[in-house]
Amino acid sequence: MKKGFILAGLITLFSAASALAHFQMIYTPQSALERGGELDMRLIFTHPFDGDHTMDMGPVEEFYVIHQRGEDGDATKTDLREYLSEISWKSHDNEGKAYAAKIPSRVMRSMGDYVFVLVPSPYLEGDDEYIKQYTKMIMNVGGVPGNWHEPVGLPVEIVPLDKPYANWTGGVFRGVVMANGEPVPHAELEIEYLNYEPDLRRNAFKKRPGIRKAPHPAFESMEIRANASGEFTIGLPKAGWWGIAAPDLIETEYKDIDMVKEAVLWIQVTDIK
Amino acid sequence: MKFRKLLTVPLAIGFMSLPLTAMAHTPLFSCFDNADGTIYCEGGFSDGSTAAGVPVIVKNGKGEEIQRLVLSRTSDIEFEKPKGNYSVLFDGGEGHRIEIPGSQIFE
Repeated sequence: MKKGFILAGLITLFSAASALAHFQMIYTPQSALERGGELDMRLIFTHPFDGDHTMDMGPVEEFYVIHQRGEDGDATKTDLREYLSEISWKSHDNEGKAYAAKIPSRVMRSMGDYVFVLVPSPYLEGDDEYIKQYTKMIMNVGGVPGNWHEPVGLPVEIVPLDKPYANWTGGVFRGVVMANGEPVPHAELEIEYLNYEPDLRRNAFKKRPGIRKAPHPAFESMEIRANASGEFTIGLPKAGWWGIAAPDLIETEYKDIDMVKEAVLWIQVTDIK
Repeated sequence: MKFRKLLTVPLAIGFMSLPLTAMAHTPLFSCFDNADGTIYCEGGFSDGSTAAGVPVIVKNGKGEEIQRLVLSRTSDIEFEKPKGNYSVLFDGGEGHRIEIPGSQIFE
């Protein structure tokens, strides 16, 4: 009986820890480009701080980019699913099904903002809950801004208040958590540093971490809360990619099982040289 | 009188700062070779404001003007690729000019 309680407790603890660190990634090495061109990306569902367990992604429901050059420019949406190919991504302790995306230069040629959106199929966590992370990653070509601050219109999303591709180390990043088009007061947020640089040639995380050791688990996936208007501000202490996730924004059902809709936004931080 | 002086100084500073603020954006210009005998160019500013109506001047290898064009409503333009050496100038006015040599215009 006692053993049963301990086991149940361990399972609960494990589930809680795992749930805190799941991040759907849209990765490419550089988000602020001087010139457009062909782009190599990876879509990975993983644990960015520890670079450990990578989850198998199911079929991609939606993967597209919205391009806009100039504040008053026309926004154009391009479906990118035809450029996806299945890969196996190597984490430190397993391999998981992921996707490579080779975006041709004709899609990324013009100056302006490129808002990449990924809607993965729901991921079954254990036996009793699906997770669906609506993920955005925003790039720029040439320095002409466009739609980086516009909501895409997803059921859940993080809308930037600062350019996600133009952040100095030591600065701050602000955003708004939205669900069903409305800000989410006091939304929970998890922030994680992409601690192991992805090696696109090997489809694997590199071995050397950016942060050698977190002093405490609370530093690995940092939990904060938005304010009463759904807005948040985070400090940016280190160059690289930072993932921002807003979990459990909408609770619904999928195949008669509970499902949570979550929002993820990736931002890139650059050292002053 | 003293009040008027106090009012005049901030007003003057305000007016002086207006053109500076307006000029704080950076012009941006980019051209591509469409590989079909035409060149595509697009312009903009770092604050996202439009470059529609900005003159674009195509020059030959000697720096002589061979075509004078204007960026469209969508801040872009397409024109026939000149033969030989050429360059394309985005003429956004004083301090807002960018010239791209044809040798740096790729597909």
